[in-house]
Amino acid sequence: MSASQTERRQGGFKLTQENIVFFIALLLFIGFSVLLPGFFDTSNLLSLVQNVAILGILGIGMGIVVIGRGIDLAMVSTMALSTAWTVALINRGFGTAEAIGLGLAFAAAVGIIMGVLVAYVEIPAIFATLAMSTVIYGFGRLALVDLDVIYLPDNAIWLRSISNSFLGVPLPVIWFSVLAIVAYLFLRFTKWGRYFYAIGDNRAAARITGIPVRPMTVIQYLISSMIAFGAGLITASLLASVNIRVAQSTMVYDVILVVVLGGIGLSGGKGGVRNILVGTILIGILLNGMTILDMPFTMQNIVKGTVLLIAIIVDSLANPRDEQTAQQGDI
Amino acid sequence: MMTAPLIELRDVSKDYRGVYAVRNVNFTLNKGEIHALLGENGAGKSTLTKMIAGVTQPSDGQILLDGKPVSFQRPAEALQNGIAMVFQETSLVPSMTVAQNLYLGDEKLFNRLRGLYIAAQQFLSSLNFNVDPWANVSTLGAAQKQLVEIARAVRQKSRVIIFDEPTATLTPEEKHYFFSLVDRLRKDGVSIVFISHALEEALAISDRITILRDGELVASDVTSKFDRDGIIRAMVGRSLSNELYGRKRSDADARPPGARVLSVENLSMGSMVRNTSFSIYAGQVTGLFGLIGSGRTETAKIIAGVIKRNIFHGGELRFGERSVRYREPRPAMRDGIVYVTEDRKAEGFFETMSIAENIQMGLLASGLQSSNVVTQTEAREVTAEWSKLLQIRAINPNARIVELSGGNQQKVVIAKSLVQKPKLVIFDEPTRGVDVGAIAEIHKVIQDLADSGLAVMVISSYLPEIMVLSDRILVYRMGRVVEEFTPGRATEEKIMYAAVH
Repeated sequence: MSASQTERRQGGFKLTQENIVFFIALLLFIGFSVLLPGFFDTSNLLSLVQNVAILGILGIGMGIVVIGRGIDLAMVSTMALSTAWTVALINRGFGTAEAIGLGLAFAAAVGIIMGVLVAYVEIPAIFATLAMSTVIYGFGRLALVDLDVIYLPDNAIWLRSISNSFLGVPLPVIWFSVLAIVAYLFLRFTKWGRYFYAIGDNRAAARITGIPVRPMTVIQYLISSMIAFGAGLITASLLASVNIRVAQSTMVYDVILVVVLGGIGLSGGKGGVRNILVGTILIGILLNGMTILDMPFTMQNIVKGTVLLIAIIVDSLANPRDEQTAQQGDI
Repeated sequence: MMTAPLIELRDVSKDYRGVYAVRNVNFTLNKGEIHALLGENGAGKSTLTKMIAGVTQPSDGQILLDGKPVSFQRPAEALQNGIAMVFQETSLVPSMTVAQNLYLGDEKLFNRLRGLYIAAQQFLSSLNFNVDPWANVSTLGAAQKQLVEIARAVRQKSRVIIFDEPTATLTPEEKHYFFSLVDRLRKDGVSIVFISHALEEALAISDRITILRDGELVASDVTSKFDRDGIIRAMVGRSLSNELYGRKRSDADARPPGARVLSVENLSMGSMVRNTSFSIYAGQVTGLFGLIGSGRTETAKIIAGVIKRNIFHGGELRFGERSVRYREPRPAMRDGIVYVTEDRKAEGFFETMSIAENIQMGLLASGLQSSNVVTQTEAREVTAEWSKLLQIRAINPNARIVELSGGNQQKVVIAKSLVQKPKLVIFDEPTRGVDVGAIAEIHKVIQDLADSGLAVMVISSYLPEIMVLSDRILVYRMGRVVEEFTPGRATEEKIMYAAVH
């Protein structure tokens, strides 16, 4: 091993995509704080975090699936339709708990169907979930809800309260933090969490090692769908309404952006909750700054896309694929 | 030599993370000669030739072509300069036909297939190779694929052709055609590098012989100066290698069979496994020899639940007293059958993980871990224990597995399986791509397992390995066990004869 490699390892600091993105976020934060009046302001910073909390929560769900080398393109559809049904049921006179239970059951059913399609029917995740996304939207619009926008009734106090503040901190931020901690502990310290990494890293090896690959894949989609339902409830509470047309928007790509930007490779087996946090923070700062700058929506998309490209390019320059360790076998 | 050599290697070295595969080798290849390159598994023959063919680049030293230094970054560059290599592992496009593969990369903008097939047919017949140019490569057996590879290299009218163990999968008749082809090529002035395990072949057809051992050149001279014993002495050299394959086991050495652990009755799967029957006993090593493509790996995978046998007329598998049909490896592992794969990169280890995490994953899957919380402490303890048992050498247990040498990677894969406390261990080519030192250690592990009363099955296509490890030798051909030998009765010739005819 050459001296420079040893040095890099012992220094404990490596130019990973995570660190690069974190630096970009830090630079942006300092830049905006100096240049933009009103950015470095408690109320603005709180709203910044609150605005990305939903994205962050969805990002954690997506991250868990991506670590297992899958992808859940139906997350936003699941989120919109399951909560829309819950709210519609409340409007029809169901109790809040029953409505939430049914909504959660719907999300869980969607997750299990997707998981079975991917794990047992062996359809590539990208196609299975893309198709499911349309099916969920169509089915929900046909059978579950009548309108595109459903308002939360005034008497659903309990549901409204989940987006209040606690000691000045908006509750969605707290939910995001709690979920992040739970997900971190789950991925790091439970058997299932470790299985997800193994499956994402090398599915064939995981199978031969005796890991229940197929049930685990189903559980991944189950988790992501249930997290989507949670994110949907918080959104509904924040906006006092559910707009199911969000299922047709590009929001799911923002979720993937958060995951990939933070450094969870789509090839699976890499990254963790920290990467999602870093990605979420960068997107939050970007979106907030661009809103203060009053940048048009199309321009914002260009900026988001460019930032992702830069992060990936810098990562591939800083960590080139190592041909010597990538190959083995006959020497 | 009167004429300047066509290719000259000066003090060439190649290291993978400090481990030398080839060290300070000087090698020359003259025009129109057949140069045999001999050495044990892992001696560096493949690496040396891959550097000539531009597949890898030397980390030190110089390669000269026609007296001018060259540095090929890609195989295509070497090919442009007239150097072609026929690889051990075939590098054909499986979804294309034989003819398309032969002319791959040389097609005109508008490719007329009819002309292509006619040309391919004529070309293959001119070589006496009986391969259908219309056949899809994926439908061919290993031997026919090898023939297509050879034909492709010949067609490119290269000045130098490197054959990496071309005869391993060929039948005697095909070998005969191959050797006459090589002879013809030599007369046309083509230089040939010929890597082989078969010493008689090298002695019969080569003009010069170079022998490598542990990455270093030990002998290089004209063929007439060598005989079989001399070559073996040069190849084996030190005592370790003698210890490895030198000992001949007698029937008295063989461990007696214990209880019958597994019995395979009339097992069938597609066209790869055909009505095979045999038994595996506790407390001994059962060696399974067969040529590549004879269905050994498939049989092992059926036993371990990696693939499924036919539903109808698939035969029966009895593990202990029970009749079993595993649809997944997990229930097989839980019952005590583990399979150590032949292709560790594709299905053996988790490359983003450390040594400790890899071994721990085996433990987690087996359900034998001490608590429900996955801790680094337990991973470290287990790793320390198994590193000592298997002598896994790494800077620290948190080193990523891709940074290890092939031998250490193999040991990690073995540890990952053994940590699951199996009753039957199936090793598929346990020493493929493993250095000599590690081979001895892995062999010792296998023997120790059998001594401790486990049933062990070893699949290998390397005859000396089978001979030195097995208490019973089963020979596979065309998807079934065709012959059984005791160690005392077995000779290399007898086993090979059973595997081919």
